[in-house]
Amino acid sequence: MERDNEITQNLQLIFSNKLIEIKNPRMRRIFARVEMGSFKEALPRLISDVKLNHLVTITGTDLGQEIELLYHFTRDGSTVVTVGFKIPKDSPTVKTITDLVPAAILYEREIHEMLGVNFEGHPNLAPLILPEQWPEGIYPLRKDRKFEELREIGSKK
Amino acid sequence: MKMGYASTIRVPFGPQHPALKEPENFIFEVDGDIVVGVTPRLGYVHRGAEKAFEIRTYVQNIYLAERVCGICSHAHTTCYVQAVEDILGAQVPPRAKYIRTIIAELERLHSHSLWVGIAAHEVGFDTLFMYTWRDREAIMSLLEEISGNRVHYAMNTIGGVRRDITSEGASKIRSTLDAFEKRTKEYAKIMQTERTFLKRAQGVGILKKQDAIDLGAVGPTLRGSGVKNDVRAGDPYAAYGEIPFEVISHEGCDVLCRTIVRCEEMLQSIDMVRFALDHIPTGDLRVKVPPAVSAGEAVSRVEAPRGELMHYAKSNGTTKVERYKIRSPTLANIPALCKTLIGSHIADIPLILAGIDPCFSCMDRMAFIDSKTNERWIWSMEELKRKTVK
Repeated sequence: MERDNEITQNLQLIFSNKLIEIKNPRMRRIFARVEMGSFKEALPRLISDVKLNHLVTITGTDLGQEIELLYHFTRDGSTVVTVGFKIPKDSPTVKTITDLVPAAILYEREIHEMLGVNFEGHPNLAPLILPEQWPEGIYPLRKDRKFEELREIGSKK
Repeated sequence: MKMGYASTIRVPFGPQHPALKEPENFIFEVDGDIVVGVTPRLGYVHRGAEKAFEIRTYVQNIYLAERVCGICSHAHTTCYVQAVEDILGAQVPPRAKYIRTIIAELERLHSHSLWVGIAAHEVGFDTLFMYTWRDREAIMSLLEEISGNRVHYAMNTIGGVRRDITSEGASKIRSTLDAFEKRTKEYAKIMQTERTFLKRAQGVGILKKQDAIDLGAVGPTLRGSGVKNDVRAGDPYAAYGEIPFEVISHEGCDVLCRTIVRCEEMLQSIDMVRFALDHIPTGDLRVKVPPAVSAGEAVSRVEAPRGELMHYAKSNGTTKVERYKIRSPTLANIPALCKTLIGSHIADIPLILAGIDPCFSCMDRMAFIDSKTNERWIWSMEELKRKTVK
């Protein structure tokens, strides 16, 4: 718990007024919501000061008008720190973190393909998972896409 | 990579069983006998699981989570029910936690011994392959006797477990493990002393410690590169906080060390199951939970046989989940695998590929599949070089 408090304080210090919400719902779980532009800026300090040395994955969620990106980090494989922010769905662009965290390379590509988020500066955002002939602009994990519709698209030759 | 000649040759591996009996395609660019480029094609077993989670109820999703993987099914259900229990604030009875742990370690035993067999097979040591797989059957039979199933045990439910381990069952587990332990020790010794195996595994598939960390490797792949990192120790779940064990790691960074790590982990698992059987508390198996889950979110982590598995759940107050995210250990190990393959010999490809113990079914669960269509993606040489050749 002491460690969680230390991380929480560190995050408050780093994001200061850019921090929208911070929760510590149980031991070893911290959720922080920050303002859109502040995450990439703070990332070097998250790595060096908060010692978030492992990126578990990135989760993208369609919230209707916005897309939320959650970056799940761990420190030494213990406390999971989730830092998230929202980006507008009509212009879903965000800076890549692959230059600082190489492990993000496939996770960003997956989100690009599934939710249509454009990661600026990513070395290669070519389709990763969906079939080659998958029509452009159809993002399966967006809420307006229904399962049956996607199944039909997937089975087309 | 310095190339003396203008051209290289592209050698396809898969999609029919590139290493394990699962479909995935790798195209290797080779210069003579040396791999200079890797182009993996994913997506042959995509089933759209994350979207499918959103249209089913929480109870139905237990069975969907079970079917994400055909080997570490218990790891996925554990991760799933933990996430839901976390949002609900459900207090799982201690006995249920111990049963989850026992099944998880038995699962690790059969998964690791399957892998040892495959590693032996890949180096042409088929006798050892036959022996380990025969012994693995004893564990599978145990699981079948406990749960009624060899693979999809369906032991977990939200709020606890569905079946008990009786004292009769416990003594059967003990006697089976006694025999299994003796054999595992013998195989571990063989793999560390048998020259034919050493020649193929020692110094092959080097993944340096810093690369393993930077590229986000997990599980025995990471621990074989000298990093002591295990969710069971770092972020204990189920009964792991109460069961003593040692996090195994080795500094060799090669296929041999990944093998030793798995063999020693099996011995640890045997002791953990014994300890759990000796200390299992009496009491209820499950608590009742409501069908609808109040709005909230949870990150759940489990040390699956292949490494760190993470599920993220976001609920909205209904009986269906708002967003469900799965990150399987194999996906996390792919960047490290590609790094490892560059510079290796063609003959070592199957062993290195098998070295991370890939589970393509787990990894591919994300999207949509039609086995008749020709889905694929290309990892460009630029990207690969950027990440792998420094």
